[in-house]
Amino acid sequence: METVLEVRDIVTRFGADVVHDGVSFAVRRGEVVALIGGSGTGKSVLLKEMIGLMRPTSGSVHLLGTDVCRSGEEEMNGLRRRFGMLFQDGALFSSLSVAENIAVPLREHTDLPDALIAPLVGFKLSLVGLSPDTGRKTPAELSGGMRKRVALARALALEPEILFLDEPTSGLDPIGARAFDSLVRTLSDSLGLTVFMVTHDLDTLLSIIDRTIALSTGKVIADGPVAAVMRSDHPWIREYFSARAPHEEGSR
Amino acid sequence: MAEAPCWIAPELESGANILYLQGRWRLAHVPGIAAEVAALRLAGDHCVLDGSRLEEIDTAAGFVLLHRLAELGCIARTVEVRQMAEAHARLLTLVRERMAAPSVASPTRHRGAIERVGHAAVLVGRILRAQVSFLGRVGVELAALLRRPGLFRLKETVSQFETVTLDAIGIAALVTFLIGIVFAYLLGVQAQRYGAAIFVVDGVGLAICRELSPILVAVIVAGRSGAAFTAQIGSMKVQEETDAIRTLGLSPIQVLVVPRLVAIMTGLPLLVFVGDLAGIAGGMLIASLQLDISPTAFLARLHTVLPLKAVVVGLVKAPVFAAFIALIACRMGLAVARDARSVGENTTSTVVQSIVWVIVLDAIFAVVLQRLGI
Repeated sequence: METVLEVRDIVTRFGADVVHDGVSFAVRRGEVVALIGGSGTGKSVLLKEMIGLMRPTSGSVHLLGTDVCRSGEEEMNGLRRRFGMLFQDGALFSSLSVAENIAVPLREHTDLPDALIAPLVGFKLSLVGLSPDTGRKTPAELSGGMRKRVALARALALEPEILFLDEPTSGLDPIGARAFDSLVRTLSDSLGLTVFMVTHDLDTLLSIIDRTIALSTGKVIADGPVAAVMRSDHPWIREYFSARAPHEEGSR
Repeated sequence: MAEAPCWIAPELESGANILYLQGRWRLAHVPGIAAEVAALRLAGDHCVLDGSRLEEIDTAAGFVLLHRLAELGCIARTVEVRQMAEAHARLLTLVRERMAAPSVASPTRHRGAIERVGHAAVLVGRILRAQVSFLGRVGVELAALLRRPGLFRLKETVSQFETVTLDAIGIAALVTFLIGIVFAYLLGVQAQRYGAAIFVVDGVGLAICRELSPILVAVIVAGRSGAAFTAQIGSMKVQEETDAIRTLGLSPIQVLVVPRLVAIMTGLPLLVFVGDLAGIAGGMLIASLQLDISPTAFLARLHTVLPLKAVVVGLVKAPVFAAFIALIACRMGLAVARDARSVGENTTSTVVQSIVWVIVLDAIFAVVLQRLGI
């Protein structure tokens, strides 16, 4: 399968702080990849660098064949239609209703008539498990989990090839989180959607992830299927998975 | 068989509707697909979707197709799928499962002009009532402060005082200086005709100290600090910081409102005094340039004609204006809903309310003081 995302030798410094010290990996089409790492290891920063919201100190990011760090605004705008991003707290536009939020990318980037956008928005809402009535509400009236779903619907509005998720299941109840996981997996399987997520959720990791990349002290310390990463003897990884191990055994 | 731009080819094979889906069914092509699908007619409510010529399909395109088929009476039981890539079939199944929903009704209702005006009036009443109740709450907290002075947050108050007062000295002085110039100039042009140029000193002194400086400085502070208070407290509300304050057993009024109230009430009279000086300086400049009244003569005349009470009245008005600005700003901040838009709306509302109240209060002062003969 073709490579859709390639991160090469990323170095990020904030003043004297070295956040990334040579991070490299590649993601192929259709993969569901999770980036894990302790707090402050620069996961979200890396995510922002991948989609061009921040610039690494050195190194390069190639997303769908475009060099993100060295592209002009026009090229980036073309690229932005081809990926979706789910921000951690949803980042919904608070002055618009839920339905209008989802309609924004459709109105801006497609020539669909309004008569088609309205039912499509309703469908996107039910696609992420919300009732179409939600469309009339404002983001302020929604719970955290609902905001996340609306944000996912907005990220999916343009039928992206790659979906970036920043901690998609944090703040959701376990049922909602698993439903979210299986939705992501289904979309990935049926659409060939590539998913790249930052997550702390071990259940997500163990259920829907093809590949896990672990970040620690600015470097990739493990990269592979979850089972392989779990066997790594890096102290942080051992601690990360052992925090969960007793539970796991209890439930099996 | 029709070529490329044709997305769907219906055929009748042994009594069954066969729909050949062809090409790349992607969002970019949905308008074309929708047009073709809308023109689709079926014999009966049974159909078979043939995916052998389908290259790609996404949820938007799949939805458009299934939505139309549902309109034609083809529901899950009567739609079959054949020769379709497994991924495509799975996607269509997903779309069918999730599309049971009716479309969303129009989200916002537009208000007519009369309704808007009425709504605004009702809102003013509601704001006034909330304001009175907030005043009561602040009063209770201030009373608590009298019993336990230890609750007072000196550090926060001082830091608020610095931003409200010290940082505003420049702009307050500049504005009143310019108004002093304008006022002295306009007055001077009139007074000169009657050979009464020296009376400009009386006019400038009285007008600046009693009315212009208090009002202008209060308006500046309302726009500057009032807006800042609402925005600060409002974004804290959005981040649930005010809830955190309450949970830690503290009172948001004690922590957020009282320091700002005290800072602005002590700061505004000082700014008004600075404004008095700057305004008179502006008048003095014009008097010497335009009317040949030397600064010495100006000050000598000012000393005899400007009653102390005019200055005092101006300085006494200031803390009252300040209290209204602080209370309005803090209440609007605490009344912010959990979204960014509401912070902006309330900030605007703070500035408007504060300025209106400053002018209303000034009118009340004018009438009352007149009656009292001050």
